[in-house]
Amino acid sequence: MCEKMLGIILAGGQGTRLGKLTKGTAKPAVPFGGRYRIIDFTLSNCANSDVETVGVITQYQPLELNAHIGDGASWGLNGLNGGVTVLQPFSSSEGNKFFEGTAHAIYQNIEYIDQQHPQYLLVLSGDHIYKMDYRAMLRYHQAKQASLTVGVIHVTEKEARRFGMMNTDATERIIDFEEKPQHPQSDKASMGIYIFDWPTLRRYLIQSFASDKSLEDFGKDVIPFYLSHNEAVYAYAFRGYWRDVGTIQSLWQANMEFLEPDNALNIGDRNWRIYSKAAVLPPMRLTATSQVNHAMVVDSCYVAGRVDHSILSQQVIVGAGSRIMDSMVMPGATIGEGALVDHALIGEDAVVGDGAVVQGTRQQVAVVGYHEVIGGMQV
Amino acid sequence: MRPASVSAIINLLEPAAALAPLTAARPVGMLPFGGRYRLIDFRLSSIVNAGIKNVLVTLPRSGRSVADHLRSGHDWNLNTIQGGLFLSPYNDLKLIAPEKKLALIHHYYDDSIVFLKRSHSEYTVVMSTRNVGNIDLKALLRYHQERDSAITAVYKRIAPDQLVAPNTVLSLTATGLATAVVPLKQVQWQPTEAVAKSMAVYLLSTVDLIDLLQAANQRGDLVNLEQLMRQAVAQNQTNAFEYTGFQANIHDLHSYFAANLALLDDANFRALFESSRRIYTKTHNEIPTYFADGARCHNCLCGPGGTIAGQVRHSVLARNVSVAAGAVVTNAVIMAGSRVGAGSQLTNVIVDKDAVIGPNLILKGTPKQPLVIQKGQQVFQQTEVMSRD
Repeated sequence: MCEKMLGIILAGGQGTRLGKLTKGTAKPAVPFGGRYRIIDFTLSNCANSDVETVGVITQYQPLELNAHIGDGASWGLNGLNGGVTVLQPFSSSEGNKFFEGTAHAIYQNIEYIDQQHPQYLLVLSGDHIYKMDYRAMLRYHQAKQASLTVGVIHVTEKEARRFGMMNTDATERIIDFEEKPQHPQSDKASMGIYIFDWPTLRRYLIQSFASDKSLEDFGKDVIPFYLSHNEAVYAYAFRGYWRDVGTIQSLWQANMEFLEPDNALNIGDRNWRIYSKAAVLPPMRLTATSQVNHAMVVDSCYVAGRVDHSILSQQVIVGAGSRIMDSMVMPGATIGEGALVDHALIGEDAVVGDGAVVQGTRQQVAVVGYHEVIGGMQV
Repeated sequence: MRPASVSAIINLLEPAAALAPLTAARPVGMLPFGGRYRLIDFRLSSIVNAGIKNVLVTLPRSGRSVADHLRSGHDWNLNTIQGGLFLSPYNDLKLIAPEKKLALIHHYYDDSIVFLKRSHSEYTVVMSTRNVGNIDLKALLRYHQERDSAITAVYKRIAPDQLVAPNTVLSLTATGLATAVVPLKQVQWQPTEAVAKSMAVYLLSTVDLIDLLQAANQRGDLVNLEQLMRQAVAQNQTNAFEYTGFQANIHDLHSYFAANLALLDDANFRALFESSRRIYTKTHNEIPTYFADGARCHNCLCGPGGTIAGQVRHSVLARNVSVAAGAVVTNAVIMAGSRVGAGSQLTNVIVDKDAVIGPNLILKGTPKQPLVIQKGQQVFQQTEVMSRD
């Protein structure tokens, strides 16, 4: 069944709301939970859902992401009948194929998609933390004889103002769509996960880009277009843990939730594992002066200080007398001696010098950028 | 100029009895080490760090655990189109019925000979695994090429008081050539200063090694490759190449236990793992290790995927180890997937993989004689374990 469904992960966005963290890297490549990058959740969901062919559309600062994905072997996506293909803009006789929007990115990659001969196109975002079986969504799509199925989650009225909201009838057919409404009519927020009948979408995209080029974005353009053209558009409700980590605050919050042993994401579930590119590193070392509580630590960390309610990623060093609280420290960062890191996200390979203080609050998390040096070593 | 091509043979047929029960279901080379590795990883890493792409691993038995660990060789980048990883199983003659042994005479070394001939390599390194170290095989090759001896043997200079009976030493001439590799108990002289402990690593030309193996086949020899290499050292002019990094000799439970805990020393850890020659191993997808409120973990190496709620001191824990609240673990080597129940106290203990230690038990060994909980063993009653004081 799933060999007819091609996965496309939209991983090209700049992620401006992550500020310093995405200055030099794509949002899906941002580290999460100590030993993952955000895109690992979507790639693992594909692998676990038997979606064996996946195209990853990249555009903004793709180097780190491309290196991470490689040939897809880390997720078991390097099989004989599938594989991961990184799709980057390229030039052709019609000009440069940069992507102006999510739907435009699909249009620009029509040749790749056609090569895979899919019947269904599964469009995914690379910046969500969740575990989802796309096979169940496809079965729903088939049962409803839908042309487009939109994955939705139930949100509160306050949250609804950040999302594209789907108003449905009694059969879950979407009858109206409102982008970031002030007065939401429904509680069904789009997750940015779509299953399209490929031949239909293909036809519409080609028509659009041959004429008025109106179908640039899925949320803004394609869904309203489908509704106005009477296509069967259905909402598929997802009830599990799902977090959009598009902002500093939500990224920090999701990391803090990840720490909780009873977190609904259930990262330890070996029947739905989240895979990542596993670096070969020595074990973590905790010295005689370390004190680590309610915290996650991974390979090749060196901890001589105190760590409370925090996540340390690979190759993080915490010097003696330092204290890390309510924070997430990304790979390769060094915290010197006698430093304080409190309510913070510390970027990859950052240095917090001896005695330096990085302090945020629950409402305003402090951020240290990649390779940034704070205190201690300043001349 | 194209660099000289080198093949490697890792011989896993090593003395295992003194390491029982850890070696009941695995060869010495597959013993877990340092919370993350197997002994064979150190040799394989030396091999790939020197750019060697042709590797034969000779196995005592079926090699199930070895094949599981090595798979395609991908984790060592040995799944290339040049060369690759080859296995030669069932070399342990103790497992072979007498009538089959007859058929083996004149054919015992066939796998190795075929491997060497097809490798078209100029040189071959022959090594076993129980001498842990991070050896620079490129330097070894250079040393060999700069001299005109038939063989180069690797040694580490160590103090006599650190030598133990199962060690072998190189007899060195005044000009630094090796004349023999001798088990310590056969050494005639009383060592007073540092001696050349053999690392059981030999480099020689592939053609010479093929000749050596064919001659052994013709004689009808059925001896271990290490023995053959010792004979060759005695019969040929041999260079002695000094290795100066971290070394541990793993020949019995005590030395295995001590070598693991030795990695808790910062200098040892850095020497073995933080050189420019990295140590590679099979990668696993594990979640981070969770340290609960109230956990106390001091002076430890820990793998990923664990849950630590109790106290752990001066210990080496592999991946997926859980230590429940109230448990006190001191001087322990705990292998992957094992669980320690609430309130249990472990001191000087080796816990093999996937073992379960129930709550409120006291398990006690001594540094010389660590208590061993076997692979998959489930201990729920105090009477099931004999503690030593």
